[in-house]
Amino acid sequence: MLGRLKEAIPYAALLGGAAFLYWDSSRFASLGRAGQLSPAFWPRAVLALLMGVCAWELARRVLFAPPRPRAEARPAQDEGEEARARRHPLLLAAGIGLTVAYVLLLGILGFFLATAFYLAGFMLVGRYRRAGVIAASSVLGSLAFIFVFMKIVYVSLPLGVGPFERLSIWILAALGVH
Amino acid sequence: MHDVLHQLSLGFLHLLTPANAMSLAVGLVVGMLVAVLPGLTLVMGVVLALPFTYGMGVTPSIVLLTAMYLSGTYGGAFTSILFRIPGEPLDVPLLWDGYPMARQGKPAQALGWTLLAALWGGLVTAVSAVLLAVPFAKFALRFDAPEYFAIVLFGLSGVTALGGASMPKALISLCIGLLLATVGVDDTYGADRFTFGVPILKDGIEYLTVMVGAYGLGEVLARMGEGFATPPMESGGNVETQLPRWREIWRLRPTVARSSVIGVLCGIVPGAGATVGSFVAYGAEAQYGKRRDKLGTGIPEGIVAPQVASTATVGGHMVPLLALGIPGSGATAVILGAFLLHGVQPGPQIFQTEAGMVYTIFASMFAAVIGMCLLGYFAIKPLIKVLQLPEAVTSAFVALFCFVGAYSARNSVTDLWMIVIFGVVGYLFERFRFPIAPMVLGCILGPVAENSFMTSMIAYKNDWTVFFTRPISGIVMVLTFLALAYPMIRHLRQALRVRHLPPGIAALRRETPP
Repeated sequence: MLGRLKEAIPYAALLGGAAFLYWDSSRFASLGRAGQLSPAFWPRAVLALLMGVCAWELARRVLFAPPRPRAEARPAQDEGEEARARRHPLLLAAGIGLTVAYVLLLGILGFFLATAFYLAGFMLVGRYRRAGVIAASSVLGSLAFIFVFMKIVYVSLPLGVGPFERLSIWILAALGVH
Repeated sequence: MHDVLHQLSLGFLHLLTPANAMSLAVGLVVGMLVAVLPGLTLVMGVVLALPFTYGMGVTPSIVLLTAMYLSGTYGGAFTSILFRIPGEPLDVPLLWDGYPMARQGKPAQALGWTLLAALWGGLVTAVSAVLLAVPFAKFALRFDAPEYFAIVLFGLSGVTALGGASMPKALISLCIGLLLATVGVDDTYGADRFTFGVPILKDGIEYLTVMVGAYGLGEVLARMGEGFATPPMESGGNVETQLPRWREIWRLRPTVARSSVIGVLCGIVPGAGATVGSFVAYGAEAQYGKRRDKLGTGIPEGIVAPQVASTATVGGHMVPLLALGIPGSGATAVILGAFLLHGVQPGPQIFQTEAGMVYTIFASMFAAVIGMCLLGYFAIKPLIKVLQLPEAVTSAFVALFCFVGAYSARNSVTDLWMIVIFGVVGYLFERFRFPIAPMVLGCILGPVAENSFMTSMIAYKNDWTVFFTRPISGIVMVLTFLALAYPMIRHLRQALRVRHLPPGIAALRRETPP
């Protein structure tokens, strides 16, 4: 039963979210012209479909789910598949945290420093341990991105603030980006 | 026909300009690399290439992405056959006969059959695109708002029904995409929808951030959640290609003909695509092939059928994309995105207003087929070395590509936050096995569907029967209904069949996707 409830969680969450949005659509439901469909019609139709499918899946999984096979009936997995099937929630949380930190610090540290730290951090979190390769690929990778995007594609990447901005400008000058 | 050939020859001339030729070459190499790397999917590769096209003209941009798309359907064959690692889902049927043939000491022959199949499938795809696109576009000129709505609905239902995953999950994914498209100020009344007082949401959610976040960062996070468990390859191995003899090729003509037709049809039907084409062609071979009893033991038919079909789908996909502006797959959705980013709306008019560009794209498909085969024959050995890179290193750079790509579109840090949000959404989709393609297509086609629906309702005074009483839209609505009903009927039949099996086996069958 616990397994069934666990499987039903995403559908319950989606159903709740859709119900909230349906309620929220009443704010703009009255903005249409007389005799015409309101701007809420289309999103409400989509939300009704979404809620219907979620309700169906919830009922199917909680009330009518078939019995699960016994553990010995499952086909054997090879070593690679088993390794991939194993979950690493801490690694995932660290990866998301690192990514959020990158977006937060991009405007402060500037593209070069933030990117070099992000690449190095990502490889370390991903359990890669060759320090030389990490250092070289993160620094050279960041410089290559700056060169390609600022010199060739003409994208204005963030420079950072204060001393970090001065460092970014110095790097840009060294790469011939004006 | 004479006009088509004249335009095509001009297209070949345009292709010789440095920008187009360079785009073609780069697209072929990058597409091949993306297909070789198991961590990178073809759609993800096309998405990551998108930001590089901002500074380019529209023709080189589309040439680049189309070349990537084409060579991507071929590159994964090498890892499938040599290492039993399918670079793409579409390469899975290839390993059923390709790998056994390689294990029998004939890897060069297996690669030779693949090259030949890719060449034939590619030529079929290019010819079918040229022949079908203009009649398609002429037919589409008769369309009004109800027909457009019906066609878009058919496209969306096809993706939902044939997407591979369970239909309810595909429907949920589609609804989320359609809802994301409604965020912001609506086109008909100017009303704020689902903005919650946040100013940046008034502009709506850029489909680019949805695509890049869900496909790119989402996949990276999913692989991180698995602990980057795919080990790097030890070496490139003995990668040589030996072409088969003419007599052997001639013997396979029924397989080639069957798979070509399946490939083109799977390309035209929205949602079917290269993966479905590859599996269906292998299935058809198992049902109708002369040597069907030997399939799976390493025979050429098992390699040729899926490879011809998967490459032949590309042209089929390009037809509705160019003639109607409706993408039938993730990769063509990205190509549509590239068109829109450059201010070009594909549709029937494009053959009059931008004929030069359209025929340059067609010409590039012919050149890409030849190029990818030459690349596969001569240059695959160095390309395959990319497999020796550790997954953590490639994933770090893929994540960075996602950020820089999204940032380049509007120079906005807000888009980076969107990437993070949709990256997490993409991860959750992967984790709970929801398909991403319907969400992306819903996001792109949502505004078209809503506008054509609202226009129809205003023009026909809220008479919803207009979608069924007009001949073209009526037929398309029936097709939509069939596309949605077929998987349900299949599911019911399967459930009834499972009911008669012993309980343990029945439970296992229920858990296994069709």
